[in-house]
Parts: sequence; C-alpha cells; structure tokens
Amino acid sequence: MKMEADLKTGFKDKTNKMLGFYPEDAKISKSYIAVAFIALLVGGFLGLLQGLNRAGLLELPTWFNYYQVLTAHGLLLILVLTAFFTIGYFYAALSHNLGGLLPKVRKFAWSGFVIKLIGFVLAVIPILMNEASVMYTFYPPMAAHPVFYIGLALIVVGVWMCCIGAFIQVANWRKNHKGQHVPILSYFATGVFVLLFFALMFVAVEVLFMIIPWVFGWVETINVMVARTLFWAFGHTLVNIWYLTAVSAWYVVVPKIIGGKRWSDLLTRVVIIALVIMNITGGFHHQIIDPGINEVVKFMHVFMSLAIGFPSLMTAFALFAVFERTARRKGGKGLVGWWKKMPWGDVRFLAPFIAMVAFIPAGAGGIAQSTNQLDQVVHNTMWIVGHFHLTLGMSVVMTFFGISYWLVPYISNRVLTPQINRLGVIQTWIWTIGMIFMSGSMHYVGLLGSPRRTSYSTYGDHATALGWDPYLMLLAVGGTLLIIGVILQVYAVFNMMFFAPKGETEFPIAEEEDNATKTPYLTERWGLWIVIMLIVVAMAYVIPLTEFIVNAPPGSPPFKTW
Amino acid sequence: MNQSFYGLLLFIFLVIPPVANFMESVMVIHMHMQMPMLVIAGFLMARFFQKRFPGFFVKWNSNGLPGILLFVIIMVYWMLPRTMDEALTTQTVEAFKFFSLPFLAGVSLRNSWKKLSSLGKNVVIISFTVMFIGLGWLYIWSPVQLCNNYLLIEQVTLGWAFLTTAIGLVIYLGYNFFIDPSAYE
Ligand code: HEM
Ligand SMILES: [Cu+2]
Repeated sequence: MKMEADLKTGFKDKTNKMLGFYPEDAKISKSYIAVAFIALLVGGFLGLLQGLNRAGLLELPTWFNYYQVLTAHGLLLILVLTAFFTIGYFYAALSHNLGGLLPKVRKFAWSGFVIKLIGFVLAVIPILMNEASVMYTFYPPMAAHPVFYIGLALIVVGVWMCCIGAFIQVANWRKNHKGQHVPILSYFATGVFVLLFFALMFVAVEVLFMIIPWVFGWVETINVMVARTLFWAFGHTLVNIWYLTAVSAWYVVVPKIIGGKRWSDLLTRVVIIALVIMNITGGFHHQIIDPGINEVVKFMHVFMSLAIGFPSLMTAFALFAVFERTARRKGGKGLVGWWKKMPWGDVRFLAPFIAMVAFIPAGAGGIAQSTNQLDQVVHNTMWIVGHFHLTLGMSVVMTFFGISYWLVPYISNRVLTPQINRLGVIQTWIWTIGMIFMSGSMHYVGLLGSPRRTSYSTYGDHATALGWDPYLMLLAVGGTLLIIGVILQVYAVFNMMFFAPKGETEFPIAEEEDNATKTPYLTERWGLWIVIMLIVVAMAYVIPLTEFIVNAPPGSPPFKTW
Repeated sequence: MNQSFYGLLLFIFLVIPPVANFMESVMVIHMHMQMPMLVIAGFLMARFFQKRFPGFFVKWNSNGLPGILLFVIIMVYWMLPRTMDEALTTQTVEAFKFFSLPFLAGVSLRNSWKKLSSLGKNVVIISFTVMFIGLGWLYIWSPVQLCNNYLLIEQVTLGWAFLTTAIGLVIYLGYNFFIDPSAYE
C-alpha cells in the first residue's frame, strides 16, 4: 500500500505530511467535530445543573425542571456528542486512508449532517416545552409529543446516510485495489458503520412501527416489552460502537504517538470481527431485571455479554504489550522502570492512556452488573450513573479528547502548539480528578440506595436519604471540576480549529511489527461476517421476542407521567 | 491437534446426558442448535474418514450427488415433528439421531459440497430456503400442537426461527447473486 509505505519514513518526515489531505473532506469532519464539542459544552452545563441539584444546592425552575434537563443532557451527550464525533473521526480516516472521499460520498455525509441537525432540533423543541421528559431511553408507556419521535426518526435516517456513504467509499476502494486489505482505520470504520447500520434497524422499527402509530392514536396500545427490547438491541450496540471507536485509536494511533509499532494486524481485525458478530445480542443485559423473560434466557444472555469481555481482555493485553515493547526499545529497564520512558507530557498519549486505565474498573463494574443477583442491588440506582460516567464519560470521551489534539489540527491545517498541549495535559488531569470524585461518589451512594433519574429529595428527612447527602456533595464537587474541564476542552478544540498557527499535522497511523504474520484475506469477507452476525442475532432474539408477542399481556395506552 | 479430533470432542460434549437433556428441553434449541451442531461435529470428523477410506468416497460419491442426496434426506427426516417427538420418547431413535446427523449427514456434506457445481450448490440452498419458509409457516400458523413433547408456544418460536433462518439464507443468496467477489479480490 502506497500510503503506508510512505509513512514508514517516520512521524516527523516532512515529505509525506501533506499526503492524504483533502480540504473538501476536511470540511465535513470539521463540521461534525464542531457540533460534537458544542454538544459537550451545552450538555456539560446541563450536567452541572443536575449535579448541583442532586446535592441540594440548586432548585431548578418549573419552566426548566430536572427531567427536562436530564433528557437533554442524555440526548446531547449520548447521541449528539458521540455520533457526531465518531462520524467526523472515521470520515477523516476514510478520506486519508482511501485517497479522498468520492463526490457522491461527500454528498451522503452532508445530507446526513443536515438531516441529523433537523431531527435534533425537532427533538429538542418538545423537550424545552416540557412535552418530552422521557429521558434518552424514551421507554413506553411514557409518551412524548409526536414531534420528538419524528426528530429521532430523522436522526436515524441521517446516520444511515453516513453508513451508506462509508460503504460506497470502501467498496469503491476495494474494487480499485483488488486483493488488498482495507487499511486498518478504515477497517475499523467499516466495522463501526456495519454495526450502526444494523443496530439502527431495531430502533427504527420501534419508533416507526410501534411508537409513532401509538402516539398519534392510530393504535391504542403498545407492547412495552418488545419496545424496550428493540431499544436495547440498539442502545447496547451504540455503547460498543463508542468502545470500538476508542479502541481504534488505542490500537492504531497511540502506538504511533509513543513511537512504537502496531500490535498484530490479524488479531486487531479478529477483535473487530468478534465485536461486530457478538454485539447486538448483548442488549439483554440492560433488561436483566425486566419481568417476562425467563431465567434460562437471561442466563444465555449473561453468557453472550461476558463473551464480549474476551476481545476486551485481548485489547488490554495487546496495548500494554505495545507500551512495554516501545518503552524497552527506548532504553526503559526493570519490571516497572520502563514506565518512565512514556511521553507523559504529551496530551495525545496521556488522555487515551488514562482512558484505558479507567476501563479496568469500568469493565469490572460492568461484569458485576451483568450478574443478576448483584444487579438487583444496583439496578436503577446512582451506581449505574457512576458506571457509565466511568465507561463513557472517561474511557470513551477522554479518548475522543486525546484524538482531538491531533485530528482537529489535521483537518484544520494547523498545528498543536506547546501551549495547547500543556492546556490539554491540565485538562486531562482536571477531568480525571473530577470524574474520580463524581463517578466514585455516584457508585457509592448508589450502593446506599440513592435512585437515579430522581431530582433532589430527602424523602421527608428520612434517615437513609439524609445519609446520602455527603456523597451527593462530593458528586457536585466532581461536577464542578468537570465543567472546568469541559470549558478548557472546548476552548482547545475551537482554538485549534480556527486560531492555532497554520501548518501541517500528520494523521498518526502506526506501522505493523516487522515480523508480523500475514493477515488472511478471509477478514475482508464482510458478507460472511454479516450473515453470521444475523444468525447470532436470530438465535438470541427469536425465543424471547416470540414469547413477548405471543404471550403478551394487554398493551399499554400512552401516559404523560410528568 | 486436528479438526477431526475437535469434531469428536464436540460430538462427545453433545452426547453427554445433561447437555443433551438441556438442549432437548427447548424445542428451538433441539432443532436449531443441537441438530446443526451434530452435523458440524460430523463435518469436522469427516476428515478422518476421508483419509482412512479414500477409495470408498471416490467409488460411491465421485460427483457429490449421492452424498448430498443422503444429506438432504437425513435433514428432512429430522425436521418432521413426529421424528423429534420419537427421539425424545424412544431410546433407539435418539441413538439413531446421534448417529445419523453427524455420520450420515455431516460426513456426506463435507465430502460432497466441494464437488458440486455452483448450480448444484444454489439448488441445495434454494430448496432449503423454500423448505424453511414452508416449515416456518407450518409451525407458526398450525392451529394444533404438532409435538407431544412441546407446547404450542415453543412450536411458534421454532417457526420464527425457521423464518429468520430463511431470511438469512435469502440475504446470502442475494449477496452471492449481486456481488461478484472477483471484483474485489
Ligand atoms: C460536566 C460533566 C458532567 C456532569 C456534571 C454530569 C452529571 C450527571 C448527573 C448528575 C446525571 C444524573 C443522574 C440522575 O439523576 O440519574 C447525569 C446523567 C447522565 N450523564 Fe452526565 N455528567 C457529565 C458529563 C457527561 C458526559 C461527558 C456524558 C457522556 C458522554 C454523560 C452522559 C450521561 C448520561 C447518558 C446520563 C443519563 C441520563 C438518563 O438517566 O436519562 N454525562 N450526568
Ligand atoms: Cu450494554
């Protein structure tokens, strides 16, 4: 592959810096990333309002109550920030790897962008009017204003357009490069867009065929269990899409930044395929406490969820091996002495590194929650909120932050200055400490029984509830640190996008190890993997869905509970 | 270790009574997991027989047709509700299931598939697709319980499993038809 061969000459080589840069494509990524970080800014402030409220420090006004704030916080951060960042990042990778986006593909990306924004505006209006306080999960029988769901449907269509654009781009490249492997980051992109494409079908069915007819009153009732199941088949997959996106940077970019080589190409691709095949079926672990699913089925799904732990452990092993090898090559010695050789002052390394470390307790918590009896203790408590602020708010988002320090200069034709790097390092530590406070106290107060999705209450000065207060105060302290982190991060992004000195930044993609085994072509047969994925999905969902539909209890009419 | 050995391990695992009992306790797992896994076990063990008795396969299955016919017959036989019922109530039939699916169906599938022309392969897949749609329809919309051993809800579940498998096969056929791998490889 020409591009990779050129990069072999080294990170600092001037001659290849401009390779694979296409201004038209960079505009797409820039727009996506800008929206992502605006979402972070707004969503972060809403988070702060929630944190202060939970600590009893702030009473929210009736025209903008806790549940409106929470719905908007969830949607902005879980949907807008992650989706826009993922698409911006992978489109930049596709453009760089595959010789620029085709004009047709650019059209798909732009139409997707516009449709998603329209959808988002439509979804936000009813939230602001207090007509859609249904949280980002929008579980029936809670029913929002119909416009909210139309907005969601448009967002789905917009993301689909980006998936199709990516498929066209990759297929075209493969036609022109017969028998070659798709470059690794584009391979990650393919996996992510395949997952997105199929996962979105589940919510599309839920929203279009179940909820919209029901909120318009064309049908009287809805099958709640089926709706929840379809939601989590999508929701859980979305979680793993973020994870796969973060992992792509861990495998491919971080080794380059520390001056090392990439871990086995074959194993990397196997991890991607394994995640694509096994993912969607994990959705049931969000329903471990749901009624109407028998224990055998729940047991099978625990198995499916834990199966995903295997590629994750492989990832952890691979990455630490890369770190150690690189550090030793640079003269690091001893059992732990090689740690000193890592570039701790480089935010592009530090942020994703801390993100990886955070994944260790985060993953452990996830395994605990997959266990029925343990989950009964923490289900719907603040523990869960602590869990996803650790996984998503730390592992994933900090990796995104780390990526932004080279991706934004790359797409803006500017450079990362030492000042912004220093700012980034400070931001990383603030975020880390803030999240440790916030997520740690959320976990603990959850164990003590404090419920999630509930605005501040002392429950008539009940002793148990009063016992939560010190932890909730710590939560607010963490939240305050985090908002400082948000402001620094957003400032850094827009500074790098518009004000940093002009210059060329390289897209960091690490090389394979010299003695790497050749990757078999089988890994490129996406048709095969998709068919296997569909079979696994059928195996997991046919039994419970048939049960839910055939033995369904009477359906539910819509409720406005707020 | 070679694949025949893995096939044997899989076979032994499936025969162990608690495993067999569990898989047979759910209709769809019985038909859509235990039975295919037995075929897969035979498919893996086939290597051993092919090496051991090369002459036999050349003589009796030179173009793959007799083998694939045997495979289809065995598969169709085990898709009948009556035979599943019998496997659960009569020991000898259960034994025949554990023998026929790996050693008659699995082995002959392995020995025949590569020998078939692409037309032959498509005919086999299309007939299974049609059959699965038919069986799905039968199991879902049959007003009566077809198996003594399984409740109606299990039967309906199995029907949906047949239909989703058929959908998977249709997608596969479509993929094969529309996408020319030589354009990419
Ligand atoms: C300034 C930083 C942040 C603060 C102070 C904050 C605080 C909070 C609080 C207090 C809750 C509500 C708990 C409840 O009542 O159930 C919450 C929920 C949530 N947060 Fe954050 N958060 C922050 C950043 C993030 C980030 C970066 C993400 C993801 C990228 C995120 C995703 C979520 C989600 C998905 C929910 C759940 C919403 C729901 O239950 O419907 N948050 N956050
Ligand atoms: Cu999940």
